[in-house]
Amino acid sequence: MFMYEKKLQYPVKIATPNAKLAQVIITQFGGPDGELGASMRYLSQRFAMPWGELKGLLTDIGTEELSHIEMVCAVVYQLTRNLSIDEIKRQGFDKYFVDHTTGIYPVAASGEPWTAATIQSTGDVIADLSEDLAAEQKARKTYDNILRLSDDPDVNDVIRFLRAREIVHFQRFGEGLRFVTDKLDCKNYYACNPGFDKNCGC
Amino acid sequence: MNKKEILKKLSAAEFALWDLHLYLDTHPGDLTAVGLYNKYHKKYMLLREEYEATCGKLSPRSAQGVEWLKDPWPWEKGWCDC
Repeated sequence: MFMYEKKLQYPVKIATPNAKLAQVIITQFGGPDGELGASMRYLSQRFAMPWGELKGLLTDIGTEELSHIEMVCAVVYQLTRNLSIDEIKRQGFDKYFVDHTTGIYPVAASGEPWTAATIQSTGDVIADLSEDLAAEQKARKTYDNILRLSDDPDVNDVIRFLRAREIVHFQRFGEGLRFVTDKLDCKNYYACNPGFDKNCGC
Repeated sequence: MNKKEILKKLSAAEFALWDLHLYLDTHPGDLTAVGLYNKYHKKYMLLREEYEATCGKLSPRSAQGVEWLKDPWPWEKGWCDC
């Protein structure tokens, strides 16, 4: 079960609308390395996890990613407030606007709608956790690129917070993977999958 | 404390608690971290009470109807000043 807390994990207060920048930021909502994919990936993968430590880790990080979706959407929402039709055209926002007006839709910066094809849930504990490590680095890379493209201090403050969280999650997933390999066959931990095989490990 | 300060302090306490919570997923036996968690939890509960009294209820378990529906919502500009 999930319940809403009526607050953001970190405050979002953008002074200057900028639809051009919004179209870049939105990729962390609906893009290939975005927060929606992250959350769905972890919250799906957790069912294959055989140990409490990993069920907890995937549940908790998957839940934190839901808060990050909300923050990214808040940035996009505030960047696209009070735009004139002339600004919408000049800032290249017309292609998004024609389908979604200023509503928030999960889409990559390229215009591709969010797709589950960019995530996996393999049912294999080591494969899933290894994907999660890569996912955190890919999201960190996107935040790095957003910081290269944006000179809005209000936006960058939020992006830096989100970027730091990717690094913390990467650290925790690394510990999770280490926890699994410590539990498995001492000579060859790929010999079995503890998410499927019985009596797997030392 | 004004509203802005309460929000900042609540968010900081909540963040410390959450980061310790994640850490304890992979280090469940670390008693120093458990102690820190309990310390921040006390702070957090006091700040949460103060926030709810000043800025509005946080949970659908603590508010319904008019009180729950009160603007601004967290993604809106006025929210940071609650």
